[in-house]
Parts: sequence; structure tokens; C-alpha cells
Amino acid sequence: MNAPAISIDALRSAVSAFPDDSLMPARLDALDHMDRSGFPTPLQEEWKYTDLEPIFDISNRWLADGAANAPAVSHQDAIAVICQSVEAHWLVVANGFIDEDSLARAKVSGIAVTRLSERESAFCFDAALADLNTALLHDGLHIGISATTTLDKPIGILIVDDASTCVGVSQSRIEIELEPNSEAEFIEYHASIGDADHYANTVIGLKLGVGASTNFVRVQNRHLNHSQTARLAAELDHDSRLDCCGFDLGGRLIRNDLHVEIQGRGASATLNGLYLAGDGQHIDNHTRSDHRVGPATSAQEYRGILSGDCRCVWNGKAIVHAGADGTDAQQANHNLLLSEKSEIDTKPELEIYADDVKCSHGTTVGQLDDKALFYLRSRGLNKKYARQVLTRAFAGSIVNKSPITTLRQHLAEMVEKRLGELTDGEIL
Amino acid sequence: MLEITNLKTTIGTTEILRGLSLSVAAGEVHAIMGPNGSGKSTLAQVIAGHEDYVVTSGTIHYKGRNLLDMEPEERAREGIFLGFQYPVEIPGVNNAYLLKAAVNARRKHQGMELVDAFEFLKLAKEKMEVLGMDPRFLNRGVNEGFSGGEKKRNEILQMAMLEPDLAILDETDSGLDIDALRSVAQGVNAFRSPDRAIVLVTHYQRLLDYVEPDHVHVLSEGCVVRSGDKSLALQLEERGYDWLREAASE
Repeated sequence: MNAPAISIDALRSAVSAFPDDSLMPARLDALDHMDRSGFPTPLQEEWKYTDLEPIFDISNRWLADGAANAPAVSHQDAIAVICQSVEAHWLVVANGFIDEDSLARAKVSGIAVTRLSERESAFCFDAALADLNTALLHDGLHIGISATTTLDKPIGILIVDDASTCVGVSQSRIEIELEPNSEAEFIEYHASIGDADHYANTVIGLKLGVGASTNFVRVQNRHLNHSQTARLAAELDHDSRLDCCGFDLGGRLIRNDLHVEIQGRGASATLNGLYLAGDGQHIDNHTRSDHRVGPATSAQEYRGILSGDCRCVWNGKAIVHAGADGTDAQQANHNLLLSEKSEIDTKPELEIYADDVKCSHGTTVGQLDDKALFYLRSRGLNKKYARQVLTRAFAGSIVNKSPITTLRQHLAEMVEKRLGELTDGEIL
Repeated sequence: MLEITNLKTTIGTTEILRGLSLSVAAGEVHAIMGPNGSGKSTLAQVIAGHEDYVVTSGTIHYKGRNLLDMEPEERAREGIFLGFQYPVEIPGVNNAYLLKAAVNARRKHQGMELVDAFEFLKLAKEKMEVLGMDPRFLNRGVNEGFSGGEKKRNEILQMAMLEPDLAILDETDSGLDIDALRSVAQGVNAFRSPDRAIVLVTHYQRLLDYVEPDHVHVLSEGCVVRSGDKSLALQLEERGYDWLREAASE
């Protein structure tokens, strides 16, 4: 029996319906590559805990239905709410289509936004989901930040999907390039509406030039019936700095791949994240830091709060390549399990091929601290409230580390709201 | 105010208190002394309502009510305060936030008006000044990264803010340098009043140089083996605990 997969034939026929634009050769190459390499299966170590079968199923149904997405999101309100609640230069990708108005608004000094179809784009063909993204891509965006630019507010990338009329599949692709000594902040924001099944697949590339500096916050707040795979691949040149923080609040089957290539001395990468999962959710965060040279630092801390019948995965890999002396790589993953049915698979991995390195990792899985709970109760806080205070504090430490300060209040409110939903059961 | 009769408690399979009786009236300061492992801290935790300790027999009445029927939070709201021997660090929970939530939980229970942010800050700063605490401690995580002395001062600050009727201070003097000991003692003395009772659990006599007790009790193997006035504490300082154990076993 064949492993579950998306039908290549159906994909070919969907791709043949695309306009014959400059991206077509890349789409066809991606199809061929996918055909040869196949799709991830749980037999592969990288996919051991996350079975993509539900996503293949949505994709096949969508292809069978004619591979049609609504051309624009009918719920413009949802977009407006997000864009108005967070101050940023917003670029909107709705159901996989780039919103022309948002592109026109983003004409700001120091930022150059162009469609991928209008430039020489080099697509690399490596991972099946990135190939799927290339094959079904209507168009993507390239965001260039010119040298020594400093921006007045973050650049927001709102990836929003509407599955209110039919099952949907959407692709979004963003290539970001920061020229030397520029500074910019990015918000990658995923949201979705509609009760039909939906699968969204995002690929983001982030290149930091010499001395460039960026704060990057990813917010995933999808409909609890919608699934997503997202990949962020960052390349860091000399003395560049990436401070990245991801928040997973919604979604059904979520897989995030974050890959950082440290290519220049003095570079630093901070990769933090928070995932909150409840009934029926599966949230998988895979990170990989390749230290090609040293000295350089990477530090990551992911925290998870799991409630109800859910499963989360954290796999943090740091590879210190030969010659990358002076590397400092730290990893931590802490999990709070609020229910008996929740499950976490946590796995830090270090591969070290250099001599002079400082590496550490640690993971914890547990319940709320009984001593802290008693302490709060002995001060008059009732048991339920004390538990909420401690749960909030556990999540709050990541919210407070999220590097875009103007976004924190919004994040804190969303986290608070989701925690309220997750902790309203008898467990508190 | 507090009436303990023939109290026996276990933790796991170990019996710790073995028939302890104690009576504390409003306005009094009692010192509970005794060697390590005699059950002093257990007594403090049981009064505060720690669930790990199981009361197998005996009674505790507080203001005439059966204390053992009350949840820890209800005890706190009814005016019982435990100053912890090892105050818990709670990163991410703001010290001021906890203090205000605690004060208002008690006020609400008493049918009093809740304290607002402005009034709270004014009150907290006043109390902190008496204790020689930097107001910046308000904005830190609860006991997070506090030194031993700072943690104990923070306990006394909580006590001063909560204005309990019965304060049990568990080894509040341990690990303090002389300056910290003095300011903690000052806080305790400022708190003394005819309406309130204080129980000082202590291993050493030195706190009692600054806070003068009305009654001193010596615990050994889970029972009060001797009670007296403050001179008993001085005797213990001189002679240690062994003579009492011998006297008790005779």
C-alpha cells in the first residue's frame, strides 16, 4: 500500500490551470521534484510525531473539487480588525492572493516590496512542503530593506484565509532581505475564518546582511478547524542579530519549521516560542540552528501549555559544525500539562563537531508548582484563581520576551483569552 | 483566639505532631522553640492549611470556629497569616500584584471597600519604609532573585499589609544578618496590638531579644514539653534542649 500523499496527477492538472507566467517553470520543476522525493511520512525521524495525512486529505479533496479558492476574502472585517489593532505597515495575503491595495500602501522609504513574478527568483527544491508551496503559488512577495534603514513601525505580513464557502488550500511565500546595517521588525500573522476545512502552507526566507538586525514575531491564531505548515529559513551574516518569537494560539494540525543558518561571526539568534493547545489540537515546533562559524550565539526557549485532549511536539536541534569555535548554543523547552490527556514529545538535540563551544539544553514537563500554589492560597487567593495566576505567569515569561514591544499588549490579550478558554474546565 | 487540643498529624506514614495542645489569646506573643525535627514548622503549616499534612486526631479552633474545615484561602481571609520559613519564588507574578490581590481578597471577605491602585501604592510604600525595603521590590516577581533577608522582609511586608489577627512567623529570623533581624523585629513590634496574636516559631533565642514574648513553649517530638515565660528562652540558650528532653522522658 502506498503511503498517504497528495495526488501528483491532480496537482499537475491544477498547476496546468495556472496562468503561464514567469513562475511557471519553477512550478513545473517543483512538481517533478515532489514526484521524485515524495511526501513526509511518520517513518522519517523529522516527522515521527506529526502525521500529515489530514493535510493530504484536505488537499486531495480540494484538488478533486477543482482547486478553487475564493479570489479574495469575503470577511474584510477580520482583516481590518487585525490591521487596526496592531500598528504596522501591513501587507495582506488573502487565500493565497496578494492584496493589491496593501501593496500600494506599503510604498515607504527604505522598503521595496515586489512580486516574486516580477523578479528573478531562485527557488530551491529541497523539502516537499516547500515544493508544494512553489507548485501551487499564485505569487509571492520580496521585501527588501535598504542599507542602514531604520523603520518607524514594523512590517506586518497578514496571511489570512477564508474557508466559509468551500474546503481550501492556500500558499504564501515571502522572501525578506535586510541589507547591511539595516534594522526592521516583522510581524508574521496568520488568521483564518470559515467552518470548512482549510490547509495553509507558508514559506518565508529571511536574509540578514552584515550588521543587520531584526525582531520577528510570528502569531498563529487560526480557526481551530484549520491546519497549517509554516517554514522560516533565516541566514545570518556577520554581526547580524535575529530575535524571533512565535505564538501558536489556534489551529488544528500545526507544524512550524524554523531553520537558522549562522554564516557570519558575531551573529546572534534568539528563538523563543509559546504554544497553547486544547482539545483536538496538534502543534509541532521544529527548530534547527546550524552554526557554520564562531563565535556566534543561538538561544532558544519554547514554552507550552497543554490542556484537554491534545498533543504538542518540540524538537530543537543545534548543530555546531567543524571550525565553529566560540559557539554558544542554549536550548530550553518547558511544558505545563493541565490535563491527563495532553501529551508532549520534547526533544533537544545537540550535534557538536567543534572544540571550543558552550552548549546546554534542558526540558521540563510538569504540572503547576504545589509550593507556589499553597503560597498564593495562604495569601487568600482561591485555588482556581491561584492556578490561573501561575498559568498566566508561565506564559507571560515568553510574552515579555517577545521583541516587538508595541505588539506585546495585543499578544498578552490574545494569550489571556486563549488561556481563559483552555483553563475554564474543572482542572482549575 | 487559637485553641489547639491534643493535635496529632502525619505526613505520609510519619507521625509528626503527637498530641500537641496550645492556647493563644488576643494581644499575646507566643514563642515556639525546640530542636530540629520537633514539629515546629509542621505546626505552622497545619495551622495555615497545608494539604500534605493529615490531621489524625485532635482539634484546632480559631475564633471559636473549626479551623480544620476551612480551605487555606479562607483561613487567610479570616485573618491567619503564615510567614514562610522558605518563601516561594514565583517568577512572572508581580510582587505588587500579589500583595494587592491578597489585600483585596481579605477586604472583600470582610465586606470592606477594595483598595484602589493609588491607595495601595501609598500604603505599601509606607510599610516598606518601616522595613527598610526599596520600593522597587514591588515591581519584581514574587521573591524572584531576592536574597534570604529580602525574602523575610517581604513576608513581613505582606503581614503588615494584610493586617491579620493571628500571625505565625516560621523561622523568620533564620538566615538574617543583624540589620535585617532588627528591621524584621521592628516590623513585628509595630504590628503588635491588643487585638492581635503572634506566634513566633524560632530555633534560637536571638529574635526574642528584640521581640519580647509573653509565653515560651518548647516542642520536642511533636509535643509541648515545657511552657514558661521569656526566662525559659534564656535558659534554653544557656543549656540547650537536651535537659528538657531528659526531663520529659523521666
